[in-house]
Amino acid sequence: MRIQVRRTGGFAGIERHAEVDTSGRPDAHEWQALAEKALAAGRGVRPIGVPDGFSYEITVDGKTVYAADPRLTEEQRKLISRVLKEGA
Amino acid sequence: MTTNGGFEPVFCTVVPPHVLDKLARNDDPALSGPAQRTLMRDSELRGRRRVTTEFGLAAAPTAKAPSEQPLRTIYDAEHKTDLPGTKVRAEGTDPGQDATVNRAYSGLGATFELYLKAYQRHSIDGDGLPLDATVHFDENYNNAFWNGEQMVFGDGDGEIFLDFTIPIDVIGHELTHGVTQHTANLTYYGQPGALNESMSDVFGSLIKQYTLGQTAAEADWLIGAGLLAPSVSGKALRSMKEPGSAYDDDVLGKDPQPATMDDYVRTGRDNGGVHINSGIPNHAFFLAATALGGYAWEKAGQIWYDVLTGGELSDRAFFTDFAKLTAAAAKARFGEGGEELQAVEKAWEQVGVQIL
Repeated sequence: MRIQVRRTGGFAGIERHAEVDTSGRPDAHEWQALAEKALAAGRGVRPIGVPDGFSYEITVDGKTVYAADPRLTEEQRKLISRVLKEGA
Repeated sequence: MTTNGGFEPVFCTVVPPHVLDKLARNDDPALSGPAQRTLMRDSELRGRRRVTTEFGLAAAPTAKAPSEQPLRTIYDAEHKTDLPGTKVRAEGTDPGQDATVNRAYSGLGATFELYLKAYQRHSIDGDGLPLDATVHFDENYNNAFWNGEQMVFGDGDGEIFLDFTIPIDVIGHELTHGVTQHTANLTYYGQPGALNESMSDVFGSLIKQYTLGQTAAEADWLIGAGLLAPSVSGKALRSMKEPGSAYDDDVLGKDPQPATMDDYVRTGRDNGGVHINSGIPNHAFFLAATALGGYAWEKAGQIWYDVLTGGELSDRAFFTDFAKLTAAAAKARFGEGGEELQAVEKAWEQVGVQIL
């Protein structure tokens, strides 16, 4: 499973992007479960969000959903921060 | 939460406007009061002018004058994401051990002060709105935002960004999003979104200048000075004086802001480049303010404030719409033959925004 996260907006307006390929990882199952929940709670169109709030694109195996601060589910927040931290 | 969240309907919003209009004129205050307040709430999206002139609300004897003092409350999210978090400092209490809490408290006070002293505006909504802020939001959170009701600050990750309460202009920037929400309510996308961002940078910078007692010539015109970690190559996040020059770093990349319409950036990201193209109206303000000299909040700031709150600015305004209104406001407040009108017209011309 290929999980990509793109974060745009924010006070600084600086974009960040990272991805994680779960194949061959010992914790692949955990990533997949998290990604599926994050995806299920995502939106099909980019929400406008709040002024200076971060806006996110989460892409899992080619399927993209959108989310924005401060309205993220627990799973979305966890997935986003893990991918941006551990991903390349 | 949408950008215009935080409005509690005073009267059920399914009441048709013509009915509200009739109720608002009723002799019985029990009927006219709530209807007038509902109309006022609605009209805040476009400005207060119509309601105040038609119903004389500004002079209504029943209206209690809002306080000359802010009503601040600081909350601590304790590195979680639930808002508002635990209350840690109330209005009028002494500073505590947490410098972040103290900075947020002071910054809210400085913002309240500029709006009241320079523009006779009572808080964010013009009606004494309590000022709430949450600090220590999430872990290593590299952002600050206005959620429609309150401010939220992250601590930064310490590698790229430091604590978001450090620059006072960042605090002023976020609160000004609240002022915009309660006045012109500029749509947070594309050119109106870039104007929304620019309003926050303009008044954020003015709050810093007012606090430091700086003239336009003395000000640094930077947004977010002191926010970047020492290892980052940059002086701030944005420069109103020289958009595009704030940072140039291996990790952050280069400041993408244009100064003129020739370099306007078309993009779908960042809500259509709201933090990018704001460089153009930001630079126009800088040019007008420095041409006029003295304290920037007195003339250029007053003109910009008149447009933001005057009721004529559409929530879908483009740069040219805004620019035309600043010329009209300069004329209305300072006269047709004044240096103010000339400075404003020249500033827009220099950044390539047509006003004629």
